[in-house]
Amino acid sequence: MLLLLANLIAVLLFLLCPWWVLKREFGGAGVLAGTFGLLDPQNLGIPDTLAVGWIPGFSWAWVLLALGSSLALLIRERQLRARWLYSLGIAGLLLFGLGLLRFYGAIGAVNGVALAEGILPARLPLRRFSPSLASYASLAYALLLLLLGRLQLPGGKAFLVRRRQIVVPLSALGLAVAVGALVVWMLRPGLGASPDLTPFLNLTTKLDLITYTFQLLFSPLTHWSGLFQSLLLATPLIFTGLAVAFGFQAGLFNIGAPGQLTMGAIATMLVGVYVPGPGWLTLPLSILAAAAGGAFWGGIPGWLKARFGTHEVINTIMMNYIAASIFLFLISANQYRFFGYPVTLPFKAPGPEARSYEIRPESRIPTLLELLGLQGSGAGELSWAWPLALVAGVGVYLLWKGVSIQKRLIASLGAGVLGYLLGGILPGWPVEVPAGLAAIRLNGAFLIALLAVAVVNVYLWRTIEGYELRAMGLSPKAAEYAGVNLGQKRILAMAVSGALAGLAATHYVLGAGIEEYRLKQSLPANVGFDGIAVALMGQNSPLGITLTALLFGVLLTGGLQLNLELGISRELVTTLQALIVLFIAAGGLLPTYFTDPLQAAQVEMDAQRAMTSPVEKEGIPESNPPSAPQPQS
Amino acid sequence: MSIPFLALIPATLRSTTPLLLTALGGMYSERSGVVNIALEGIMLFGALAAAVTTQQLEAPILAQTPAAQVAWIPWVGLLAGALGGVAIAFVHALVCIHYKADQIVSGTAINLLALSVPSLVLQSFYGNTTNSQEVVNRLPLWNGFSPLVYLAFALVPVSWWLLFKTPWGLRLRAVGEHPQAADTVGVDILRMRYGAVMLSGLLGGLAGAYLSIGFLNQFVRNMSAGKGFISLAAMIFGKWHPLGILGSTLLFGATDALAIQLQGGDVMPPVLIQALPFVLTMLVLSGMLSRIRQARPPAALGKAYSK
Repeated sequence: MLLLLANLIAVLLFLLCPWWVLKREFGGAGVLAGTFGLLDPQNLGIPDTLAVGWIPGFSWAWVLLALGSSLALLIRERQLRARWLYSLGIAGLLLFGLGLLRFYGAIGAVNGVALAEGILPARLPLRRFSPSLASYASLAYALLLLLLGRLQLPGGKAFLVRRRQIVVPLSALGLAVAVGALVVWMLRPGLGASPDLTPFLNLTTKLDLITYTFQLLFSPLTHWSGLFQSLLLATPLIFTGLAVAFGFQAGLFNIGAPGQLTMGAIATMLVGVYVPGPGWLTLPLSILAAAAGGAFWGGIPGWLKARFGTHEVINTIMMNYIAASIFLFLISANQYRFFGYPVTLPFKAPGPEARSYEIRPESRIPTLLELLGLQGSGAGELSWAWPLALVAGVGVYLLWKGVSIQKRLIASLGAGVLGYLLGGILPGWPVEVPAGLAAIRLNGAFLIALLAVAVVNVYLWRTIEGYELRAMGLSPKAAEYAGVNLGQKRILAMAVSGALAGLAATHYVLGAGIEEYRLKQSLPANVGFDGIAVALMGQNSPLGITLTALLFGVLLTGGLQLNLELGISRELVTTLQALIVLFIAAGGLLPTYFTDPLQAAQVEMDAQRAMTSPVEKEGIPESNPPSAPQPQS
Repeated sequence: MSIPFLALIPATLRSTTPLLLTALGGMYSERSGVVNIALEGIMLFGALAAAVTTQQLEAPILAQTPAAQVAWIPWVGLLAGALGGVAIAFVHALVCIHYKADQIVSGTAINLLALSVPSLVLQSFYGNTTNSQEVVNRLPLWNGFSPLVYLAFALVPVSWWLLFKTPWGLRLRAVGEHPQAADTVGVDILRMRYGAVMLSGLLGGLAGAYLSIGFLNQFVRNMSAGKGFISLAAMIFGKWHPLGILGSTLLFGATDALAIQLQGGDVMPPVLIQALPFVLTMLVLSGMLSRIRQARPPAALGKAYSK
């Protein structure tokens, strides 16, 4: 029943939604091509030579496909049904590819003629065009058919359950996008829709608006400068995501990342501005200060939990507010009165804006381009020092197995230094830097983030201390019985978690993540909260966190574009992140055997039993497995 | 330095009201076994719903007669605020009770939503993301106090009676302490929990409406400024008991009132005074909780129930 309903929805989407947008203006207005002809509510007009007469026939082909799959679902024999669904899915993929080719071919033909007439590339008649909702729906539908086919075969459910670490976040992401679409639907009129539009036109333009919104959100994935900008925005998220995940692994929920980030920023500013000392020492010292500031702020709730048993959730929240007050106290003014006595502070830089003095040049983290020896756009020489150091260090670590972790780390460090020295001697590689890439301010804090990912990974899964920490997270009582000092471990876990959050400040203050090399009021401490979403979606694993942070970086970059073009607030991205947290907490609204390891194991066992048993279950409707013994809470 | 202490008393009552309402709401939720860290978000959604509804209702009337006062409008706004709180609490209940999600994570997600969704709503109504248009029809004052002040303090004995003297209260406490046992004697666990969480949403929403159309006359982004978390702490400090909650919220309310008084003087910089309630909360929670060991949360708190 559910599947037939899905098919009905698919047919409606294929018929009603625009398939392609032939011409798109900057504000989002466009000429839409759908099943029932061209829709041009804003009278933008397209060249007559554009061949789009094939679109109605094309969409009817899709409707036929959907009808075919509805019939296929009625086939009683499972093997045959699976084979039909597979064939239809592959046919769908081919049809999708064909449509894509024809569409780009038609656009290319018109533009090619214009180019031949000598029109500049920037003034082509059809510059901005894209697939639209029905196209995306058709691709998703074809993939769904393939997945359904797999599910019909024995062990299909187990196949899906085994991949639950991917399935649950993806489902949550999909649901968040759906709710986000609903929000956009309610808050915004359709693109170029005026009150006197027919209901059909109104609906179509609205659907187009929603499609375009998400197209913009994910658009950074399609070009290099967008990807680098996404990495830039992902850097602090990697830190805060790791911080939250580290706490989760120890069974502690650290909501204090905003405060820890703020304290890290204050500490690193103090060292970066006021500690003189030799140039080579100040940068490491500033980075350490960021970690120490965060560790201090995270350690306090850890200590309170260990000593008094107060819940870390409430304490970390309170400390966020306290950190915000201290932050403002330091940089918003220099003159204060305590009980009538004037007190003068030296931290605020002169001027109307609340900000600190600039970080001294030695303490600044260079941008990645500078690390590669390049200066801005144009011709330059690529230095091999840092790339070689990185390759040598990581290579030695990965290749030299079978020795203790300490020896491996020392060896890879040595190899890194050797690589750096060797790379410094080698002659540079002449390269041309395009202006788009030179504008990206991705800085060395990104490398520190990757290093932190590696260190956390090794610590949690390759050391005894990390094992104890995870044991405490799974069952504090069992860990205590096995000899883990819970109090000490909790303080340590919260301090390390805080240090990771504090390191995010290196990106903002030392790496000019907030446009200037100083502490400013615009320090986005809320990024600490986003870390919760990153950790949850990344399933608390370092690799997952890195990927999720990148995804969120893409969304944030796309959010800027969204604000610029459609005037939709960037808060939409924050809303999506919060929804992802909510849906992941609810297991992606999937059945419980996706979230409960015991029930997942049961599904696996049932599948194996079905595979080995000689009785072929033909014609029997899919039956529920005998319910697993439910764990009593 | 002279602080007009008499002036502090009404100020304390006013600052206590939102905390008391929210903390009592949280008490119902947690007594039924559902951690409600979402109180902050509930408050914000209530405040938003109240302000926007009031403003939208009065807009056509104000267009004809500027600064017109219509008696029923703020009450509808108040109702909208309460319903906004209930709606968002329902989401929390659904995710926690039906989908058995981690209750702290769910609450945090709702608090995150409350930081961003209001901006989207404000942008679509007023074209800016930080505050709503000011409303003319605020909640009326009775003898200088908002009606919600009376309601909040009246709810303390009512809650006590409900919780300890009625069958419903007995069931609610049983559900939070030992759901299996309650289930055995025929109490519908899930329904009790849904009801309790939504009741906390109702009270939290009222508190939010008090902030936006009672205390102030508009919704400002993140206007609860941690009051939801303070009420949570006050509820724990008040040992999940109405009278204890009255005492602890009065303490926090007094700190708040004192902080407002101190803003004007030159005792401490205002930016530091804003941190005072939070420091106090931490001190109280860690210092005193360790001594009051009998302060024990409901035994089934935070655990999803499945038969």
